[in-house]
Amino acid sequence: MDSVTVVVIGGGATGTGILRDLSMRGVKTLLIERGDLASDASGRFHGLLHSGARYAVTDPRSAKECIEENAILRRIGKHCVEKTEGFFVRLEGDGEDYEGQWVAGCAAARIHAKRVDLKEARRLEPHLSRRAVSVFRVPDSAIDGFRLCWQNVASARRYGGEVRTYTEATGIERAGDRVVGVTVCDTLTGAVDSIGCDHVVNAAGSWVGRVASWAGIEVDVKPDRGVLIAFNHRFTNRVINRLRPPANGDIFVPHGPITVLGTTSSPVASADDNVPHVEEVLELLHNGTELFEDLPKYRILRAYAGARPLYSPGEGRAASRDFTILDHSTDGLRGLTSAAGGKLTSYRLMAEKTADVVCRELGVKAACRTAAEPMVEDPPRRLVTRARPFFPPYGLDLAASRLGAAFGPVVQGLQMHPEERRLICECEMVTLAEVESAAREPTTFNLGDIRRRTRMGMGTCQGAFCSLRAVGALVSHDLVADKDGKALIRDFLETRWKGIRPVLWGDQIREAEFQREVYAATLNLDGTAQR
Amino acid sequence: MSACDVVVIGGGLSGLVAAAAAAERDKKVVLIAKGVGAIAVGSGSIDVLGYEAGGKPVARPLAEMGKLPSNHPYARAGKQATAKAFEFFLDLCEKGGFPYSGSADVARWVPTAIGTLKPTCFLPRSMDPAPLEAAKAAVVVGFRGLKDYYPELIIRGLMQVPAYPKRFRTVIVDPEMAGRDVNALDIARWLDTESGRHACIEQMLTGIAPGNVVLVPPVLGTVPNYGVLEEFEKATTCKFIEITGMPPAITGLRLYDLLVSEIKKRGVRIVEHATVTRAVVDNGRCTAVVTHGVDRERTHPARSFILATGGFYSGGLEAGVGSAREPVFGLPVKVPESQSDWSNAFLLSGGAQPFARFGLDVDARLRPTDGSGKAVFENVYAVGRTLSGFDDAFEKSGNGVAVVTGYRAGTLVA
Amino acid sequence: MKGYLYDSDRCMACTSCTVVCPVAAATREFLGPKMVGPALSRFRRPALAPDLAADLCSNCKNCDISCPSGVPISTLNMLSKAEYYRHHRHRLRDWVLSHGQLMGNLATPFVPLSNLAIANPISRTMLGAFGFAGRMPLPAYVRKTFRKQFRALRQQSFPQKVVFFPGCYIDFYDPGVGLDFVAVMQANEYEVVVPRGLGCCGTPMVANGFPGAAERAVRRNVRALQEWTDAGVPVVACCTSCSLTLKQEQQELFDVPGAAELAARVYDATEFLLELRDRGKLKTDLKQLSGRYLYHAPCHLRDQGIGRPGFEMLGSLPGLEISDADAGCCGLSGSYGFKGDRYEVAQAVGDALFKKVRASGADAVISECGTCRHQITVATGAKTLHPISVMRRAFE
Ligand SMILES: Cc1cc2nc3c(=O)[nH]c(=O)nc-3n(C[C@H](O)[C@H](O)[C@H](O)COP(=O)(O)OP(=O)(O)OC[C@H]3O[C@@H](n4cnc5c(N)ncnc54)[C@H](O)[C@@H]3O)c2cc1C
Ligand SMILES: Cc1cc2nc3c(=O)[nH]c(=O)nc-3n(C[C@H](O)[C@H](O)[C@H](O)COP(=O)(O)OP(=O)(O)OC[C@H]3O[C@@H](n4cnc5c(N)ncnc54)[C@H](O)[C@@H]3O)c2cc1C
Ligand code: SF4
Ligand code: SF4
Repeated sequence: MDSVTVVVIGGGATGTGILRDLSMRGVKTLLIERGDLASDASGRFHGLLHSGARYAVTDPRSAKECIEENAILRRIGKHCVEKTEGFFVRLEGDGEDYEGQWVAGCAAARIHAKRVDLKEARRLEPHLSRRAVSVFRVPDSAIDGFRLCWQNVASARRYGGEVRTYTEATGIERAGDRVVGVTVCDTLTGAVDSIGCDHVVNAAGSWVGRVASWAGIEVDVKPDRGVLIAFNHRFTNRVINRLRPPANGDIFVPHGPITVLGTTSSPVASADDNVPHVEEVLELLHNGTELFEDLPKYRILRAYAGARPLYSPGEGRAASRDFTILDHSTDGLRGLTSAAGGKLTSYRLMAEKTADVVCRELGVKAACRTAAEPMVEDPPRRLVTRARPFFPPYGLDLAASRLGAAFGPVVQGLQMHPEERRLICECEMVTLAEVESAAREPTTFNLGDIRRRTRMGMGTCQGAFCSLRAVGALVSHDLVADKDGKALIRDFLETRWKGIRPVLWGDQIREAEFQREVYAATLNLDGTAQR
Repeated sequence: MSACDVVVIGGGLSGLVAAAAAAERDKKVVLIAKGVGAIAVGSGSIDVLGYEAGGKPVARPLAEMGKLPSNHPYARAGKQATAKAFEFFLDLCEKGGFPYSGSADVARWVPTAIGTLKPTCFLPRSMDPAPLEAAKAAVVVGFRGLKDYYPELIIRGLMQVPAYPKRFRTVIVDPEMAGRDVNALDIARWLDTESGRHACIEQMLTGIAPGNVVLVPPVLGTVPNYGVLEEFEKATTCKFIEITGMPPAITGLRLYDLLVSEIKKRGVRIVEHATVTRAVVDNGRCTAVVTHGVDRERTHPARSFILATGGFYSGGLEAGVGSAREPVFGLPVKVPESQSDWSNAFLLSGGAQPFARFGLDVDARLRPTDGSGKAVFENVYAVGRTLSGFDDAFEKSGNGVAVVTGYRAGTLVA
Repeated sequence: MKGYLYDSDRCMACTSCTVVCPVAAATREFLGPKMVGPALSRFRRPALAPDLAADLCSNCKNCDISCPSGVPISTLNMLSKAEYYRHHRHRLRDWVLSHGQLMGNLATPFVPLSNLAIANPISRTMLGAFGFAGRMPLPAYVRKTFRKQFRALRQQSFPQKVVFFPGCYIDFYDPGVGLDFVAVMQANEYEVVVPRGLGCCGTPMVANGFPGAAERAVRRNVRALQEWTDAGVPVVACCTSCSLTLKQEQQELFDVPGAAELAARVYDATEFLLELRDRGKLKTDLKQLSGRYLYHAPCHLRDQGIGRPGFEMLGSLPGLEISDADAGCCGLSGSYGFKGDRYEVAQAVGDALFKKVRASGADAVISECGTCRHQITVATGAKTLHPISVMRRAFE
């Protein structure tokens, strides 16, 4: 049995943020996550680093929090934030009154909202609806949740923080009114273990209630399901928000080469079901088409769903996006803190407040430093220049920012072994060296893990080419446990399929036919063997 | 455009075979194609029927076709035409200097790039797997940098095949290619050159011995002949077997090139890069089809029309939300009412995918029918993947259906 | 042009285009059409700096011909090249090669002096320094341009008119083809019109990344032809790159009013004649010909979706023996093969064709495209002809 000071349950933005914060304060912390990092809400979200403008009217406190955290994250999270800025666009027929309230709300929260001349707006975003009547510019940005979690961990590791993925907490061990450990289960092998600790932080997102219930404590986190659509192209360079009271399908966020439209909002009993439905997709498309008239012509890559961990009495959108830190010593149990609710934009603040509580209990005096220090260093200029010839156009900048500390070794590999330069994923420009680097991470077990670290398989062909290549290369380098690689390929294609199935028309049905021609007709991955 | 007997719409395998069969009967044929068909990047093995509906392997494809439902394309074409079609196909390849071998009577299992075996029937000689079954050991040749073939992956899979050797060795050949990534086509082009062949043989000889069975990616030249194969066999006295794999799988490209030149020889006129957008119809007959090239419409009159436009991949079928259509003639394509019934929860579910079976219903003369089973046009025939009632990827029958229905239509047209 | 964003969305990564790209076959420095076109286009909008991955693309359009998805790959390539050169300077060589009309206007008054300048070893070396392929002679300027000769020609007047679009190649290098066209049309009771104000079609400017100049050329041509297209008169070109540009490229790349109306009237010369023949409007008492010819289909003809009308026409002329070389791209692709750093690529691309030509023992190689003919002649020494020149012999 291992033993640490604090165990954090949950490897989303909140959990990894707490891991980083505590580690930076010198607290020996281990994070456990039942799947891969960012495999839930923090990877199944919209990717909008809110300026707060969205909440300017409905939730002024959130708005203020957002703009403050937004500024901090742009600074410390340079490599996971794309400073796109955002537009708020009022269309013909959208209430003018709301615009007035919104402008006032922004001003009150100190969110810089500046009116943009319509002609200028169209020049900047030529695909935007002709029905736009007012446009404002706000400091919205795009943020990559996978990278955010990874970079939090990378930073935490420098301070001694540790992570175990595919490790599920199954119980809280107590001695009297004190927490003494967590029971865990290896979700890949089923092996059960326990980890001793002085304090447990419950950062299980939508499952916070479930974890707390093991200690006999009720925390009423209400999962709120949201569906998003990823499009094949970046048809907007800015975050586009509809300037009206928040509703379904009125935000577009560009991420690298793609654009994400979202979202819906519906309270659900369980956050475990993350398969999107056709009806949800159609609703989003319907609403989104008001902002981008050509939307039906744009190719959808896939749809995905996540659950917001809402914590408050109300339901759905009316509920606050705010967070609450619950020190359960008030419930009679010492050594358990739950971080409930929140949104990704304010994850750092939420982590800070949680760590404050934990440190107070542990008697640690160190103050929070997460806002002061960048999560990962910029790669040295000279290294970037040296690396340029090894990457395809655009590949270098993508790799430099997603690799963090691994960039140096990857470049080294590319320089010494030219065959490592081959693109395993031609849609997202991911080289073999990067795939191998991700595969060597002790927390990597399958192609999905590699995907979340590299974006492999997230582009146009949705895994049609890269899954064979990645597995082939990994098998050759003995980097996978699977004995013949087939299961890895199949599992990867099946998880991609979950998101394609609800958008199975237009070009995606063509791509699906093509994928099956490759993996079923040519490679017979589906059929039983002879004899 | 000048009038002709037959317009074939589509330049995939089914269209090419249909054009060849019609031209063989001295019809004046025009073949119109928007782009190349699946065969140009596919593996070129002619799968006939690998699995029955329940997922059980089919040992004797031709014999077991009798059990297929009546709406299956093979059933529509009929047993006699099916057998004749394969004869015709073999003859075409023979005449083109690239003879295929095999028969539809027995399934043959070929090794793939992920180390599985795939049931098929007709193969170029370079893909014949027989020597592997007889061997005690085999060698897998890889090429440095080649990104779609990994010997280790292939070996791990093949080791599990009971009838196969248990000992495999790897030989890596370095084609010394700089610049962009290496695919099978690059290697095949390298082996098209004499210096490439020599360098490759020399390197292989360091790891193979006379009499070895040698598995290689599909790289034995781009040209539809056995020149490279024979030179390799002669220089090494080994048996070579090309493995099927990812696009671009050069084995299909060879067959494509062969068929194109064969139909040209038979006087078929080919119109490339033109999309047929609609038909001119008169009283239950189609009198002409209209293409849209880069600029404007053009009319192509003919006496008969063969629709060989493929499935969703090639645009022979198009799907919107909850509906699918055939874009040239506007023929009906039946689909389940609810979009969620279009597909299975798993992509590779081990069963047929509903959407893969979408397509055109036809009568016994391969003419698309309306809801009541009546031919919509008396002189329009549909062939290949555009037909309904089969999931070629699941049952492993894509190229087989294309050959059989293409041939059949070619013999039916007036 | 408006559609390019979603047109590149249609790509399935099937690799069909990669298989047919002659430049990718010839050089490993070129990433191939799928990568350079649709794949990279996904990254071009977010990117701060444009890329030059398309620089090696010759705009031959074989990729477009093969694509099962209708992705306008070559157009994406040309757009990205244009974007690059909006931010970067061109080489002088590319300017010269893409402004053939201006160069022609400057050079023809001084023929044969200007040709000497191009052909003599010293200036060839100097041209090499500018980035021209020393081993690839530029075609020689003629003393009298087609238009000059045409103006001097006395045509018989007929009620049926056809507009002829000469383009640079015929105007400055190969006026004979234009005259042959006029003769064929006259024999079939058509009067040929060459409106004032026509110039270069713009394609060399597009291929070399001068979109601004190309657009100006397009506007000027559309204006010059408007009166005729309004009247429904067909516009015919003997150069396949010109006809392709007038039909397609100028519409895909620019937003010029009247371009679509013009495109609807444009014909390649052989296409026009074949259509007349099929409508029974050509003379049928043809002269008996003789000779064995090899036919090469220019890529820019194949792209037009009209088959091989020249080959078909010739095949039906009495006494002629003609076979299709069927050997792919010649490699020159307009101005491409004239560039020093492209020469090797261009020669490698054309190699299969050259071999076919040498082995054929044909009396001449027939091809619609002037630069294809130039490339074939320089590489193989074979005599080359435009189909219209052969037809003239049958009709006159
Ligand atoms: C559709 C949608 C769109 C959104 N858009 C935005 C947006 O644009 N901007 C924004 O700021 N916010 C957005 N949010 C909100 C934001 O995504 C979440 O608030 C945030 O990601 C929550 O992070 P978390 O770490 O608390 O939860 P999660 O990311 O869900 O992490 C919790 C983790 O705990 C793990 N876990 C659960 N139980 C156990 C256990 N027993 N043992 C071990 N591990 C366990 C889970 O596997 C999970 O990985 C969106 C949310 C949704 C659903
Ligand atoms: C990558 C891949 C691998 C495969 N591997 C195998 C295998 O190993 N074994 C096997 O047996 N089968 C395989 N298949 C399946 C098999 O190749 C196809 O089922 C078969 O070739 C279909 O042929 P087709 O002629 O019906 O259609 P396609 O090959 O799809 O051809 C359709 C043609 O019609 C043209 N077209 C479409 N619409 C129009 C229009 N409106 N106007 C003009 N032209 C039009 C297209 O451009 C194309 O030329 C594979 C398929 C793919 C894609
Ligand atoms: S236009 Fe020609 S050279 Fe350019 S990518 Fe296409 S096929 Fe290759
Ligand atoms: S041929 Fe068309 S669909 Fe296929 S890879 Fe090229 S651009 Fe994409």
